[in-house]
Amino acid sequence: MSVHLIDRELDRLESLWEDGLSDTYRSYLEAVGAYAPAAQPKLALAAALVEIGLRLQGLGGRAAAPPTLLMGDLCLARSSRLLADAAPQGVQVAFARAIEEMSAAGASGRAVPSTRELLLRAFEAS
Amino acid sequence: MIGKRVRFETRQATEFVDITGRLRDEVRRSGMRMGRLHLQSLHTTLGLAVNENEPLLLRDFQRLLERVAPANAGYEHDDFARRFEVALDEPVNGHAHCRQLLLTGFATVLVEDGELVLGRWQSVFAVELDGPRHRELAIQLDGDFSLPPRGGGPGRGARAAVTSDLLELELTRQLLDDPDPVSEPMRRLVEAGGKRLRPKLVQLTAGIGPRSEPLRAASLAAAVELLHNATLIHDDYVDESAHRRGRPTVAAAEGPERAIAVGDYYFAKATRLIAEIGNRSVTSTIAEALEAVCASQIDDVALRGAYPGDRDSYLGVVRGKTAALFAAACASGALLSEASTEIVEALRRYGDLLGVAFQMTDDMVDFSESSGKPVGLDIRQRVLSLPLIYAAEDRTVGPEVRRLLAGTLGDAEVGRVAELVVSSGALRRVHAEAETLIEEAVQELERVELDGQRPVLISLARSAVDRTF
Repeated sequence: MSVHLIDRELDRLESLWEDGLSDTYRSYLEAVGAYAPAAQPKLALAAALVEIGLRLQGLGGRAAAPPTLLMGDLCLARSSRLLADAAPQGVQVAFARAIEEMSAAGASGRAVPSTRELLLRAFEAS
Repeated sequence: MIGKRVRFETRQATEFVDITGRLRDEVRRSGMRMGRLHLQSLHTTLGLAVNENEPLLLRDFQRLLERVAPANAGYEHDDFARRFEVALDEPVNGHAHCRQLLLTGFATVLVEDGELVLGRWQSVFAVELDGPRHRELAIQLDGDFSLPPRGGGPGRGARAAVTSDLLELELTRQLLDDPDPVSEPMRRLVEAGGKRLRPKLVQLTAGIGPRSEPLRAASLAAAVELLHNATLIHDDYVDESAHRRGRPTVAAAEGPERAIAVGDYYFAKATRLIAEIGNRSVTSTIAEALEAVCASQIDDVALRGAYPGDRDSYLGVVRGKTAALFAAACASGALLSEASTEIVEALRRYGDLLGVAFQMTDDMVDFSESSGKPVGLDIRQRVLSLPLIYAAEDRTVGPEVRRLLAGTLGDAEVGRVAELVVSSGALRRVHAEAETLIEEAVQELERVELDGQRPVLISLARSAVDRTF
């Protein structure tokens, strides 16, 4: 993904990029090598946004303050749109199921499964 | 006659478990139109009650039970040395048995037109007196299970009823699949009512194109409603709202952690249901709308207190926060039915105009004693609503409105701001604008062929801004 394209997809979320999102994005890039080159950056960013968004919200831990929650919501929504743009249906469904699993655990007071593990597995869905 | 068991887990020693939703589901699944639902506790420390689900009142009930039969009053039942055949895990619970005497173990709720007959404030509770435990109720449904007459070519009213039934069934079905910690709060919200405008728009517009499939439309409509409700659950936490649709919000009743998790769960579930429909244009349309909703929520909070504000900023927020999902509902239904691009875009514009008008009308509700909603919430939160913008920029009352909104807002100040807004004529101005937008929305419908759906869409648009104040 060109710098210009990343900038566009980070609208309103720029502050997160230096605060861990860029590293998370790069780590997911390694996992999306099997997809078409044009889709890879969007898929990696979508995964990174889910991971950072849920962390911001405090899912499974202490609730985030309202402005931070809204930022987390925007991360999830942006991720959903990126997946709609670039992911096969199976990956879209697998991502949603991963978030369902984590949030159900959070609501039940159970330990929330690792976001990274679930999303890496979701990339294997077709 | 149908007999079943309703099973659930309690979490507290004393707990009022609202089972109204579960019972409604059982009635709907059974298809019973007219009759009686009998329920019976299968435990000697689990009672039944019909009363109001208001958290403070429930605490009053709990304290009443504790006063009448205190836990430490010394009960002969708890003197295991004098009893025969005491189980190894026998609990010390004489108080719980005595409290159960004050309640009932049996109840009957009437069913008419396929719905429980309950008053506005009535909920059915299973009352745990010795929890936490696994509990079980026996229920029997006894009555007329025949389907309502639908033969002879259904008219518009009958079609609308069937469409509405499909949506409610789909919502019920989806919630049945989910774990209790997330489904129960969402069920409370869904069952508390709401106008269901967004799913209705999906279903109506899904009947316009050549591929009209009511079941797929109901799936999409239910997903859109769940998505909308997920955003409301997070909004209520952000706004510190205690009630929605007359019931405690998830954040108020169960804490912000649960509210965040429930919102996230249904955000994800709704996007999954939409993805599973398998129409890429529909998925993208809803995803883009959701992004707009979330971005505008951030703006909405950031702009709070920035009076006098301006109409353009307001419209920017409202187009994202409210109108985006209305527009997406209209467009996605039409896309699902494979309507032409011209129709999809006309409906998208109709939804956008309707959404803005709807939000303007909702802003006015904040000043209405008769709306059923608390007055002055927007004032207290210093929301940049259109009536407040107009009053704040008014030459006569504006200085006082701005001064009040810049200071501490107690009940007296909130009341005074509301008076000033009304006296400034701001509400009339906002209402007139909303009506103009609705007429523009109706004009969008005049330009395309809508396969008989135009009158319903026009009626729905007009009713959305026609509220009694």
